[in-house]
Amino acid sequence: MRRLIPLLLLAVLLGAGPCARAQGKLALYNWGDYINPEILDRFTKETGIKVTLDTYASNEEMLAKIQAGATGYDIVFPSVHMNDIMLKLGLLEKTGVNAMKGFENIDPAALRSRADPKSEYCLPYAWGTVGIFYNKKKIPQLSSWKDLFAYAEKNPGKVAMLDDMREVLGVGLIINGKPVNSRSPEDVKLAQDTVLKQKKNLAAFSYEVVPLVESGDLAAAHYFVGAMMYVLKKPAELGYVIPAEGATMYQENMCVLKSAPNKANARRFLEFYLRPEVSVLNTIQQKNGTVNRASLKLLPPEMRDNPNINPPEAVRAKLQIFEDLGKDLKTYDRAWTKIKTK
Amino acid sequence: MSGALSARRRRALAGLLAPHSLLLAAFFVVPLAIMAVYSVLTPGLYGGVEWEFYPYGYGRVLGAPLGEVEEFDPVYGEILLRSLRLALTTVVVTLLLCYPAAFWVSRLPPRRRALVLFLVTLPFFANLIVRVYAWMLILRPTGVLNQLLGLAGLPAADLMFSETAVVIGLCYVLLPFMFLPLYAAVERLDPALVQASRDLGAGALFTFRRVILPLTAPGILGGCILVFIPAFGNFVVASLLGGAKVMLVGNLIEQQFLAARNWPFGAALAMLLLAAVLVLLVVYVVRTPHPEGVR
Repeated sequence: MRRLIPLLLLAVLLGAGPCARAQGKLALYNWGDYINPEILDRFTKETGIKVTLDTYASNEEMLAKIQAGATGYDIVFPSVHMNDIMLKLGLLEKTGVNAMKGFENIDPAALRSRADPKSEYCLPYAWGTVGIFYNKKKIPQLSSWKDLFAYAEKNPGKVAMLDDMREVLGVGLIINGKPVNSRSPEDVKLAQDTVLKQKKNLAAFSYEVVPLVESGDLAAAHYFVGAMMYVLKKPAELGYVIPAEGATMYQENMCVLKSAPNKANARRFLEFYLRPEVSVLNTIQQKNGTVNRASLKLLPPEMRDNPNINPPEAVRAKLQIFEDLGKDLKTYDRAWTKIKTK
Repeated sequence: MSGALSARRRRALAGLLAPHSLLLAAFFVVPLAIMAVYSVLTPGLYGGVEWEFYPYGYGRVLGAPLGEVEEFDPVYGEILLRSLRLALTTVVVTLLLCYPAAFWVSRLPPRRRALVLFLVTLPFFANLIVRVYAWMLILRPTGVLNQLLGLAGLPAADLMFSETAVVIGLCYVLLPFMFLPLYAAVERLDPALVQASRDLGAGALFTFRRVILPLTAPGILGGCILVFIPAFGNFVVASLLGGAKVMLVGNLIEQQFLAARNWPFGAALAMLLLAAVLVLLVVYVVRTPHPEGVR
């Protein structure tokens, strides 16, 4: 759900109304559909702070807006590599979140930012995998990228991949046994050729595949773990799998902006979100991975013990997270343009 | 006319035009100038620009100038040509649909006519993405279209994620932009002139070619321009209905500003797009006969 084009970029005013005891404001700028509204309700009820929520559809969109001088936002939710970029650009505020109560529950493995290895700035928010969402009536058994492309070859036009440069080339790199952050033009060329070879069998590069997989118009699609939201409702018909060859993973961190007008309220929100019973609300609604080990224990068993949401160590070892590639991003841009044109 | 009067008139004219001119300068000329300047600057590592002259973005598309870090790639020319072809197809299809319809609507009784015009503009009340999304539900294999075809005993059509779907989507979105100027021109067409042509012995085809067509030409021209320009740069329809397998210049520009973080190349592409549109418009305007020119 997190990358759905936000249909309405409206600020959602929560806890508005005749609020005599307003203690000020807090402005969140987050991915679309990436926070449980109940959390914001509870925060407002407890503190009297009015929360506004604006949404974006990509890290780059958010960065461009903040760089262009957008002010008024307090907290943003960049992916880890964007967290690093924003720190380098001096856009983030040191919060000392790692000294707050409850931080001891955060999984040390989730402190992934290279620029902020001790989490002095940002709080790990949520994580998830990017695997395959499929319709079991069309494909009863699916466990790898190889299975997916073998099916596509026999059934052209029934499989989709994400419309995302790094994710699609990432799959190409994984199939060839190369790291997804490879800076070698030869590796990227291999990935480009692998994807191009499959392209004639693909229906589309798209984010908007959930209704199509549900209806069986598509048999399977490269998609986020958020698909579990639909899988858990119809486990006999739908499935989500982390492919055997490995997959990419994402993680977003919660960061306070240097330009934030309500820094004290933003810190209060970080403290609030560190409570396991609060962050678990998000995980239950989003059906993704939690970075809070105390929240993990509070999850309903069908989520906690689900290997596709909380994979075992052996599977986790095969997950790779995107890093910023700096100037080498150009290699990927050229490969992606070729894929889209040939 | 006395000099004093004309000076006063000129002042009044300037006063009347000032708000509009300022608005255009602030929200059209200035952004365009920023883009033109950005298109020849060095891309910043994390988006934005560095203030160093760097015209090589153009080199990637045109073949010159080329620096050491950029290479010419015909792929961009292909993308521009494909976008052009799709935009022209959209113009032709919407024109063929709207031209006869405009004549029909102009002959309706006034109240029915007002209702039809209201219906034509009705889609503007809903968000574009929502409307295009609805077409996904219509065109997908198990969608509304195929259910209807099935009921009629016809074979299913697999249109989703195809170029046909993109053209359907673009035509749907841009139809009102073709219809409204056409309708305005057709409504102004004096039926007496058509009658006179027939009375003087001209055949139906001759009358159409020499009377109706030239008199409605401004509407045709206006409609074509209004449809062509947004069709050339559109990327939402191609992403949602075309499955993004085929890149159009709008998608390419979006990719440069977001995923590739190369604003100058995106700006250069946008400038080239602008140049292509301008050239086509100039050719079109020069070659279309003006109604006064009809003999």
